[in-house]
Amino acid sequence: MSTLELLQHTDTVNELLARYGVKFGIYKNNTFKEQLFPFDAIPRIIGHDEFDYLERGLKQRVMALNLFLKDIYSKKQIVKDGVVPEDFIFASSGYMAECEGAMPPKGIYSHISGIDLVKGKDGTWYILEDNLRVPSGASYPMIARELCRRSSPDTFHDNRLEDNRNYAKLLRKTMDYVNAGGHTVILTPGRYNAAYFEHSYLAEKTGAHLANGSELVVEDDKLYYRAMDGKLERVGAVYRRISDEYLDPMNFNPESLIGIPHIYDVFRKGNVALLNAPGNGVADDKGIYYFVPKMIRYYLDEEPILSNAPTYLPFYEEDMAYVLEHFDDLVLKDVAEAGGYGVVFGNSMSTRQKEDFIALLKKEPRRFIAQEVIDFQDLEILEGEVAVPRKADLRAFVLMADEPMVWKSGLTRFSRNPDSFIVNSSQGGGFKDTWVLSQ
Amino acid sequence: MKKLAYDYYMRISYSIPVENCHFTIKCFPQSTDRQRVLTQKIDISAQGYSEGRDGFGNRQIYGGVESEHDIFVFHTAGEVESGLSDYEEVAAEDRIGMFRHAHGCNMPGTGLRSYFEELVRAQVITDGQEDLQKSTALMHRLYQDFHYEKNKTTMSTTAEQAWQIGAGVCQDYAHILIALCQMAGIPARYVTGMLIGEGASHAWVEILAGDRWYPMDPTNDCIVTDSHIRIGTGRHAGDCLINRGIMHGGGDQTQEVRVTVTEMS
Repeated sequence: MSTLELLQHTDTVNELLARYGVKFGIYKNNTFKEQLFPFDAIPRIIGHDEFDYLERGLKQRVMALNLFLKDIYSKKQIVKDGVVPEDFIFASSGYMAECEGAMPPKGIYSHISGIDLVKGKDGTWYILEDNLRVPSGASYPMIARELCRRSSPDTFHDNRLEDNRNYAKLLRKTMDYVNAGGHTVILTPGRYNAAYFEHSYLAEKTGAHLANGSELVVEDDKLYYRAMDGKLERVGAVYRRISDEYLDPMNFNPESLIGIPHIYDVFRKGNVALLNAPGNGVADDKGIYYFVPKMIRYYLDEEPILSNAPTYLPFYEEDMAYVLEHFDDLVLKDVAEAGGYGVVFGNSMSTRQKEDFIALLKKEPRRFIAQEVIDFQDLEILEGEVAVPRKADLRAFVLMADEPMVWKSGLTRFSRNPDSFIVNSSQGGGFKDTWVLSQ
Repeated sequence: MKKLAYDYYMRISYSIPVENCHFTIKCFPQSTDRQRVLTQKIDISAQGYSEGRDGFGNRQIYGGVESEHDIFVFHTAGEVESGLSDYEEVAAEDRIGMFRHAHGCNMPGTGLRSYFEELVRAQVITDGQEDLQKSTALMHRLYQDFHYEKNKTTMSTTAEQAWQIGAGVCQDYAHILIALCQMAGIPARYVTGMLIGEGASHAWVEILAGDRWYPMDPTNDCIVTDSHIRIGTGRHAGDCLINRGIMHGGGDQTQEVRVTVTEMS
């Protein structure tokens, strides 16, 4: 595998990325922070057979998660059958009672899923978390690949790898499959949003309209795009890059200024597809993660192909006992937090902190999960001229049309801090392209 | 059983004309085990509207007014037989969980938690009681310990906040009773409706005992019989707001609501 030539272009690629406005925005405590998302030119390389295995596991997982969402917002058979305790549905902040009884076009809830994985030192892949709401990041490896191809065409001539430029085609197919009649729109909160680059890039690549909330209107239970000349044109699918609560001030947060009044009512009538469907948070919080392997068995009658990281639910007494006994070996996660927040390592706490934490854990056992610390494989990144090992994960994108499709690439994020396990971009990490070998 | 005639009239006027507005109105009694809707008519100062049901099964009308206006009027009237039964059989069993677990403004804080613990210590509720007895006992105590007073709370006051204030209106009584019942492990839901002699809309609670929803009115410390007409239900007030609207412009707004419920002979 020859990547040497490519590496000489690291700075050029980063300069171009900055010029294109490839930034990562994080939203925390009601403010946006915007930062450059540093690109490391050493690609993560995944072999053909290895990716084939990941692909099978990811498809299976996303199928089960979709069936789960459909079940939860209708009959809740999995709860009735005692596989998932009611607490993990109704007490979850991701469960939206407002969404009960609304069936999305073709019954698909999670059209675009971002599944985060890590590879252990022993070579085993583990699922770290599922992102089924508005997972972002596909545009980064897309544009990085584009710029790398431009600066080092030979690299891509010499190495036989899967072309990742088909993401737009997969996304378009996904949007078209559920389109209820009319245009396809990518809904953005607007230019000031730090993920605006991704929104506009995906719109350009898929040929969808890029619109903000004020350009879309609801009339007679249908959604319309207000064209430049004032004419209304029907919209049948909206890939919305706005979170559930801000999507529709008449159905969700009334304070939202970026949403479209009554869009959810149009959705409820089956006249527009929303990608992803509102309410998906109930399937991707850290508490429900524990149950995903059970969902796979329950809905598909198959054994899970990909493993979860070994996880304990203090909600269950026997798990609580285990957690208390092995506290120092575990990482504790607050189910309500995301983006690398609310994560603590048992062995990093002082005695006092530990006591406080255990008291909280006993008081609110449902709020936390505990996981074995996976010793995951380091990837090399360039620091100046020197390659140094850093922790990294992989966000794989699974798109659901008539069948699940796994994009043969992905976003590899790494921690720039040598001591950190947390690779989230919101915590200052960088990214790599992900190469999947075609043979 | 009573045969009741109801009339709900709402008029919103703006000091400066509104450019456009959106509305969702959930003000339509439906037939249940407890009440039968005989007639129902709707008038609204919008050119048209859509109809549907929300996630809680409430009937709603919604739409927008795209032209400039300085007044918005909604009027509905009908006839209902009320008090056909003491309870309503559970229809959507799979959704009971949403009323068992506290959500949003019903989430108890330290104040309500310690109040509840105090009630348990004082044996206001005991293990031997049926859920219906427990909820009735909680209602009686709440009626003694909380005071009716207007303008102490707002539409967005939570159960915990209202409890800390110590006084409020029907919405607050209902939210607190729901929180108390849920702490006792009894599913409870919020109800909007109308009541003979009230003059405005009203709110109360339904609690689940066995497979039956029983209505109780904590503001009046009574079991609901045949003087109440139920409009909507939800986890809390926000789920079944009778009128929800957003508008552009409009300056100051004055909202007038007149509700009458009379017994028909």
